Amino acid sequence: MRDNNLLRGKIPCADTGIEIKKSICTICDPQSQCGVDVYVKDGFIIKVEGTKENPHNRGTLCAKGSAIRQYIYHKERIKTPLKRIGSRGAGEFEAISWDEALNTIATTLTHIKEKFGPEAVVFYAGYAKWERPFLHRLAHAFGSPNYCSESSTCAQAVNMAWKLLFGAPARPDIKNARCLLVWSCNPFYSNTSLAHSIIDARERGLKIIVVDPRYTPMVAWSDIHLQLKPGTDGALALAMANVIITEELYDRDFIHNYTYGFEEYREYVKEFTPERAELITGIPADNIRMAARLYATLKPAAFMTGQASVVHHTNGVNNYRAALALIALTGNYDVFGGNLVMPTSYLYIPAGFMTREHEYYQVKPWEEMPPRIGQDKFPVWCELVDEGQSMHLPFQIELGKPYPLKAMLAFGLNYRMWPDPDFFLKNLQKLDFIVDVDLFLTDSAKYADIVLPACSSLERSELRCYIENFVIYTQPAIAPLYESRPDVDIIFDLAKRLELDDPLLAAGYEASLDWILAPSGIKLEELKKHPAGMPVPEPLKIYEKKYIHKGFPTPSGKVEFKSLLLEKYNSFFRYDVLPIYRPPKYSPEATPELAKNYPFILNTGSRLPMFIHSRTFRLSWTRNLRPEPAADINPGDARRLGITQGDIIRLATPKGAITVKANITKIVQPGVIHMYHAYPEADVNTLLEADYLDPVSGYPGYKAILCNIEKV
Amino acid sequence: MKHTIYLDLNRCTGCYACVVACMDQNDLQAGQGQPLWRQIFIVEDGTFPDVKVTFVSMACMHCQEAPCLRTCPAGAIKKEAGVILVNQDLCIGCYSCSMACPFGVPRFGQDGKMQKCNLCIARVEAGLEPACTRICPTGALKFGEINEMMMQAETNTIKRLVNSRVTSITRG
Repeated sequence: MRDNNLLRGKIPCADTGIEIKKSICTICDPQSQCGVDVYVKDGFIIKVEGTKENPHNRGTLCAKGSAIRQYIYHKERIKTPLKRIGSRGAGEFEAISWDEALNTIATTLTHIKEKFGPEAVVFYAGYAKWERPFLHRLAHAFGSPNYCSESSTCAQAVNMAWKLLFGAPARPDIKNARCLLVWSCNPFYSNTSLAHSIIDARERGLKIIVVDPRYTPMVAWSDIHLQLKPGTDGALALAMANVIITEELYDRDFIHNYTYGFEEYREYVKEFTPERAELITGIPADNIRMAARLYATLKPAAFMTGQASVVHHTNGVNNYRAALALIALTGNYDVFGGNLVMPTSYLYIPAGFMTREHEYYQVKPWEEMPPRIGQDKFPVWCELVDEGQSMHLPFQIELGKPYPLKAMLAFGLNYRMWPDPDFFLKNLQKLDFIVDVDLFLTDSAKYADIVLPACSSLERSELRCYIENFVIYTQPAIAPLYESRPDVDIIFDLAKRLELDDPLLAAGYEASLDWILAPSGIKLEELKKHPAGMPVPEPLKIYEKKYIHKGFPTPSGKVEFKSLLLEKYNSFFRYDVLPIYRPPKYSPEATPELAKNYPFILNTGSRLPMFIHSRTFRLSWTRNLRPEPAADINPGDARRLGITQGDIIRLATPKGAITVKANITKIVQPGVIHMYHAYPEADVNTLLEADYLDPVSGYPGYKAILCNIEKV
Repeated sequence: MKHTIYLDLNRCTGCYACVVACMDQNDLQAGQGQPLWRQIFIVEDGTFPDVKVTFVSMACMHCQEAPCLRTCPAGAIKKEAGVILVNQDLCIGCYSCSMACPFGVPRFGQDGKMQKCNLCIARVEAGLEPACTRICPTGALKFGEINEMMMQAETNTIKRLVNSRVTSITRG
């Protein structure tokens, strides 16, 4: 009876034979990687919980991570390599051996390289992200400049805005801040490992201003909520700057000594009085004033960005430049309690040590390779980001210019990421050869000629680090299920079969990691002794105001209110050199005629707590918490249109329509519809045109288009 | 000394981590007629632009004077070390407990028998805390001795009060 209770309670001990193995969850990536205690009995995972020793998640997990057992043991996992036998998209495959699969891939890619050049092969990384440095190196070692990723719609445009203004991004130092300006980010659903520190700081007296079109849990913790209309971020930021400059609350020394273009910026900002901004954003002028004063006077003040919310606009980068300019204006850049510049250690995370990650993946300088995908269309992207711009991929396939693309080797491809996914799919099918690596036979994988089964993070070894100066090299909690393999094993195996002359790709994953880690003095051998991870030995000390000696890595060496890089291209591309506000391409401001028939602003792609994109859609534990695609509608709008909770509604733009359920909620402001993305049966991205893009970054304007709704 | 689960309403963000952790711990098969033992309720109040949303993570309250226990005609509900437990072998599926429960907690599976949170009693006896409190990202759900937790809650309130006064001076 007693043992029975122990077993039923899944108590790890000798009596039950349940062991705890240490691993990490990578369902969302790359800011969390929460440590996971994996309860294993007889080689099976029976439960998970957060690792207490991991300083990042401190024992906690989110709804997605808690469901990882269903993800791993899902019946739809691909069991063997597959070869397509039906038409593309039909989902008819036959099992083949790894040898046959990898040899076919190597032979075909080599053939395409000989006939069309290496640049005809695209190397693409969707989710996960852990394999990226190795896939990136494989691409360049193969000779192709075309390493592309889902970062083409994720966080890179935010980085572009940082780089255009300051030369380098800077992270909020929440622990030491007195004021926090959160510009459209809800870590309570997207990055729960941050939740504790924000609430603790708030209870300590941190003042929080949140800019967000919705009422989110982050808003619930705010002192001031600036509930703007989607897409009007630039106007709000410029009005806050107007207040700060007019009331002389700006940092004169910083502006005088370290910035470029302030006078022109100041002139432009004069146009944006809080009263004018109220008309554009819907936020009362006095609230704009109050927020601007608070942020400018309560120092140090930190600024927290979301990954993609503000840059998913047709004026995304410039809107974000306008917002980030507030950091420059108040001198909160690279100061404790403000935003600190911290060098990245590995996979986007600063963790107190230096690596050779960049040297590892950039084996060949860009100049020695043909132009990247999107280079002629988004030159500033190519100046600032080490990859091709995948949003241009379907266009280059269609046009065959500047050269034809013939094949794609993809890890975790999801064609629904692109605006107008059907346009992407139509062009994808023109490729001669497609390989996709995934855990599941996704709708995208069904278009591949060869599909390879990958395994989850709990079935492999990987290196990750954390901002708390912590580092881990995981060991598999269980062996890879079926014939699945870790993504990197596939990359290194292919490198051999492609007969690339590359010593590190020949040496393998662990040898590569040791090479990357060399400057840090950290060795895998040592990391393996600490299965739950270890503190970084002698972490680099972070100093503030590094710019005093080093300047800013921008063309002028200063903070650029006026971007010289954008100026370099503006004669041909007509880029705005100042952070000019332009309303979304389709909006009541820009297209009032269109707005008569499509009176709502449609905002897409927000996070629900149980989903990250489509990654946990197929798990019953998470899916049943919100089983059907539903659009969030304000109660007032719903009443006016005779829509009640759960009604079927038609959500239409000039491009198309989808049918979803109505979810009536006060988290949404009147006049705005929020629709969540990635549903095959109601794909909101089909409502956008493929070229509804920010001309600077190439990012899709997912967060503001016009739509209409009606009860079906 | 009563150990129980306490919810700090200020901290709950409706992230569902507790709900899924409960399913993982108890092998609940969501979506097959399987009720959830822990649920999130979202309470929306006010009108734009003055809206307040409150999230409440709810499960069995394990009452000291449990009405369900007193009502159950089959003697299927018992209290063990302060935890209200259901013996499904004895449950006759009469719903008396659901009528008696002031919180609406009892749920019935496909077998028609009552099931609910058991406070992860096996874990608690082994010196661990329940799965839901263990996972909670914000610290909204806590497990402990009730008076100690109330003392902590009181302390936090005092901290907030003091901080808000300091802040109003700064704002001045």
